[in-house]
Amino acid sequence: MDQRGPALNAAAPLPGPLLAPLLELCAVSKQFPGVKALDKVSLEIYPGEVHMVLGQNGAGKSSLMKVLYGAYHADEGEIRLRGERVRIASPSDARRLGIAIISQEFTLVPHLNLAQNIFLGRQPVGRFIGKIDHATMHRRARELLDALGLSEDTMTPAHKLGVAQQQLVEIAKALSQNARVLVMDEPSSALSDHEVEKLFGVIRRLQSEGVAIIYISHRMAEVFQLGDRITVLRDGRRVASLLPSETTPQDLVKMMIGRSVDAGYRTRFCAEPGAALLEVRGLCAANGTKDVSLVVRAGEIVGLSGLVGSGRSELVRAIFGADTVTGGELELFGAAYRPEPAEAVRRGLALVPESRKQEGLLMIHGVADNLIAAGLKILFPRGWYRAGVARRAALALIARMKIATPNPERVVKTLSGGNQQKVVIGKWLCAQSRCFIFDEPTRGIDVGAKAEIFALIEQLVDAGSAVLMISSELPEIVALCDRSYVMREGRIVGELARDELSEANILHLAMHPESGHGEHGGHAEHVH
Amino acid sequence: MSGQNTALLARIGFVLALCLLLAISSSAFLTTNNLLNVLRQASLVFLIASGLTLVILTAGIDLSVGANVGLSACLCAVVLKASGSILLAVVAGLSCGAVIGLANSLFIVLLAIPPFIATYGMLWIVNGITYKLMSGTTIEGFPPGFRFIGSGYWLGIPVPIYLMLGFFAAGALFARHTRHGRELFAIGANPVAARLSGIPVRARLILVYTVCGAMAGLAGLVYLARLNSAEADIGDPMLLPAVAAVLVGGTSLFGGLGGLSGTLIGAVIVTLVLNGMNLMSVSTNWQPMITSIILLGAVLTDTLVRRHAEGAAK
Amino acid sequence: MANMEGMPNMSIESLPLSAPGEANWRKMLLAIPGTSLILLLLVLWFSFQGVDFAKPSNIVNIGIQSSVLLLLALPLTFILMSEGLDLSQGAVLSLASVVLAAVLAHGGSLPLALTAAAALGLLFGAVNGVFIAYLQMPPFVVTLGTLGLAHGIALVATDGESITEIGSQLPRLYKATVLGIPFPIIVALCAYALFHYLLYHTRFGSYVSAQGGNREALHLAGVNANRHLVVVYLIGGLMVGLAALLWVGRISSGHPTAGHGMEFDALVAVLLGGTRLEKGYGTMPGTLVGVLTVGVLRNGLNLMSVAASWQVVSLGVLVLAALWVESRQGEK
Repeated sequence: MDQRGPALNAAAPLPGPLLAPLLELCAVSKQFPGVKALDKVSLEIYPGEVHMVLGQNGAGKSSLMKVLYGAYHADEGEIRLRGERVRIASPSDARRLGIAIISQEFTLVPHLNLAQNIFLGRQPVGRFIGKIDHATMHRRARELLDALGLSEDTMTPAHKLGVAQQQLVEIAKALSQNARVLVMDEPSSALSDHEVEKLFGVIRRLQSEGVAIIYISHRMAEVFQLGDRITVLRDGRRVASLLPSETTPQDLVKMMIGRSVDAGYRTRFCAEPGAALLEVRGLCAANGTKDVSLVVRAGEIVGLSGLVGSGRSELVRAIFGADTVTGGELELFGAAYRPEPAEAVRRGLALVPESRKQEGLLMIHGVADNLIAAGLKILFPRGWYRAGVARRAALALIARMKIATPNPERVVKTLSGGNQQKVVIGKWLCAQSRCFIFDEPTRGIDVGAKAEIFALIEQLVDAGSAVLMISSELPEIVALCDRSYVMREGRIVGELARDELSEANILHLAMHPESGHGEHGGHAEHVH
Repeated sequence: MSGQNTALLARIGFVLALCLLLAISSSAFLTTNNLLNVLRQASLVFLIASGLTLVILTAGIDLSVGANVGLSACLCAVVLKASGSILLAVVAGLSCGAVIGLANSLFIVLLAIPPFIATYGMLWIVNGITYKLMSGTTIEGFPPGFRFIGSGYWLGIPVPIYLMLGFFAAGALFARHTRHGRELFAIGANPVAARLSGIPVRARLILVYTVCGAMAGLAGLVYLARLNSAEADIGDPMLLPAVAAVLVGGTSLFGGLGGLSGTLIGAVIVTLVLNGMNLMSVSTNWQPMITSIILLGAVLTDTLVRRHAEGAAK
Repeated sequence: MANMEGMPNMSIESLPLSAPGEANWRKMLLAIPGTSLILLLLVLWFSFQGVDFAKPSNIVNIGIQSSVLLLLALPLTFILMSEGLDLSQGAVLSLASVVLAAVLAHGGSLPLALTAAAALGLLFGAVNGVFIAYLQMPPFVVTLGTLGLAHGIALVATDGESITEIGSQLPRLYKATVLGIPFPIIVALCAYALFHYLLYHTRFGSYVSAQGGNREALHLAGVNANRHLVVVYLIGGLMVGLAALLWVGRISSGHPTAGHGMEFDALVAVLLGGTRLEKGYGTMPGTLVGVLTVGVLRNGLNLMSVAASWQVVSLGVLVLAALWVESRQGEK
């Protein structure tokens, strides 16, 4: 494929100073209101290397990826390809430059066959007016898929493929565009162990052909198994770039964590939890939740941690009845409960969803209307809506939650993220909920508002409510929770009591079991 | 709310300007008779559009309202002729409308067919049944007791105008001042968030489509009573003005915003335009075209306003 | 006749049935078993009703009657695959047939009349497409508006009267046969071949599926999705304009409301053919079967003297039943 392939292969594991980088990011910054997503990040990618990028949520990994394929435009800094400064303003620019992205969201057209998908927009056209040269297209698709070890017929429509196969087709698509830089965003997150092995084989082959791979990951094991170099990002900054032989999983975890919670720590933990308010036994759901049992007691903040994609949101959606439950027993406030949102709300269960805009708020409506949306039955038991009652209830909540809005009628769309989140929480206070599920309550919220939301959560449990909290920010879990469950692949894989709660312990449970022992670290450099 | 009030005032201003224009261009406009006539026509449009407003508030649509008017009216006529009982005929007409609405809602809720497809299919099914029922005949001549609801007067004002005001009051009360009514706005704004806030979305949808159907049925009865004759195609021209009235009234096709006050004014605006054309002796053949232009203009405005608002929020 | 050459030499290897992803006709028909079965049952049932259903002349008749419908259903398949809708087809057909008849009535030549009708169709397609693609207005309400517009213009232009003085050119052409095949069927077959070619053998066809299947894929491939969506509606308008030729030939006049409701038959045919408003799924053979099903049903019921109104009801019930069965299967 590339004449430089064999020469580079030898140099792949340890790119020497003699070799020029294929792609360079020089002090790239990207600022969003309230957050610095990327802060002068520099990165050099050499041909034929697998460059692992590690970091917690919000460390800047996805922003980095988006800058590379033109979805974001960097505020500062520059990108160089083979030493020349390039401008990536759109996905087509990236494609032209030979940079391809395999994101977690697939870009295949479900009812087009694999060959059509691979060559979409670039199908080879024959002599007859615009007629696709099917023979050539399928032959080339076959070659690409064969090279990737996918035996599926090129006539198969994309929707019939499993996730792993779709991913290979995405890779084939990238290769058909002669991509020299492949950015992969957690490609193994949805794959089985066997499929991961296959994927790694593909990656190594690409590597031997001189393709540079930027591999974004959470999993410690594969970092050492696959990586030629490792870059750790934290809070939008590059913390370190090192060789696998220079480090250990424990060191990497330390580098990834290394940040403090800006909000105050919880002062008083729950000594004696009260009655079990929510109890789940053997819950299974269509969304991938498998045999989950947990209990949340009055006065407790219980964490639910795990990596992105470990099934935490799915679990709480199943508990709330938002997704279909296929088995298991649930009890709410001591009585049997069949998951269904209307029932959950009536009984006093609250869900502060991960995606405020899509699932939590009526964006085009005012603050007051949002605040009373879940409490309509409680405020107006006879069915008559009284504007005065609604307004008083809303004003009380606005005052209690310190929501910064000029008036209760202000459209929530115009509020800041922190205030929007307070509206969602306020909605449940209005509904007189007593058991709260928070799914990433501090996502996209500035530091000050975070502290306020933590204070609110504390007030809730002090008043005898129970809280189940999902957070990808490990320091939050450690600082706030009385104990925490840890999930992986739709199951609960461990529970950490208050005195065991540490970021390192959570990460060890949340990653593959072997990751904690560093056994892969030792021979990682021999891989090839 | 203040923004909505401004929009409402703007529409009232528009109505007044339109009236002024018509008064200048035709001496026949500013007569009591003609004004009552305008309101009587508007009441028919409003009765259909009121139920439709509730549906559109939930980000749905009912394209079968015109056909519903036709079948309800014809069924009522048939029952009235056959039984002679006004009560029975009225009950038949109203329940016919409600059943059509209920059927719509079941297709939408249970089969998850998009509302515009389900209600469009219903349009033709209902039309077919109506033509079959009438098989080309015209039923004429109804007892005065029945005709009263369409062409009667009380205190010098046509009865349909009372109906319009009554249902406007009831509808506005329901939409603005009951829990169920408020829930409709939430469903239209964000059905997912509404469901996750414990609002029974399916039950509410069944309710609004059924109410919408019943209101179309009622409009059918009023229309029948005024025309004093029933033909299979009498509902056909009703759909476009009703949709136009709702959209001109400022209820957003994307759901969650709007209300019956707007629709009331919308119905008056649409009727004024058509009435003005009548006064200026423009052929009625022009009506569908003008109504469509009003409709497209209203949708365009709605879309642009929404895009502008979204752009501002980004 | 491009279709006659095109069909037989499509080997399994070269037939890239993108939409169903199957390799041959048989498999593609199997992919829409419900509708093929309905068609078969209808044919059998009508054959034993003691009417002249199974006579060769009637079979040809069904083909002729279905030709206009096919001309509407083919582009409608594209439109539905792009997650759109076109309710204006019937009204635009009426208007185009009025225009076509008017040109003929004023002594214009047949090509001129056809060009005028096609241009009118294109104009409506452009309005629909621009409103839907660029302004992102909901397709059903845009095309409801243009339905009213076309209907209104036709009424105003004709005062509600038919145009019957259309000369002898068109009736002669409509009755003509080539190798024993009636002209309307030839037109329909050519149209089918063209659309089959477009969907399965051009890049454009893959974009149609991507419009509804994954628009992001088009953006990433550097394809201007909006522009291609407008083209989908332009093709829709053009085909309606061309269909006016057969329509006027069939009813021997231009009438402002004669095409009223044709969009419903077309929608039923396309939905019966398996096309759905989600994920860009649709097939051309499916639409063909759907059109034939509607044609057979209408023809058979006509022969049995079932009123046109009941025919419409039966179409609606049929398609709702099909959707219901499908949703049941989906749950399993």
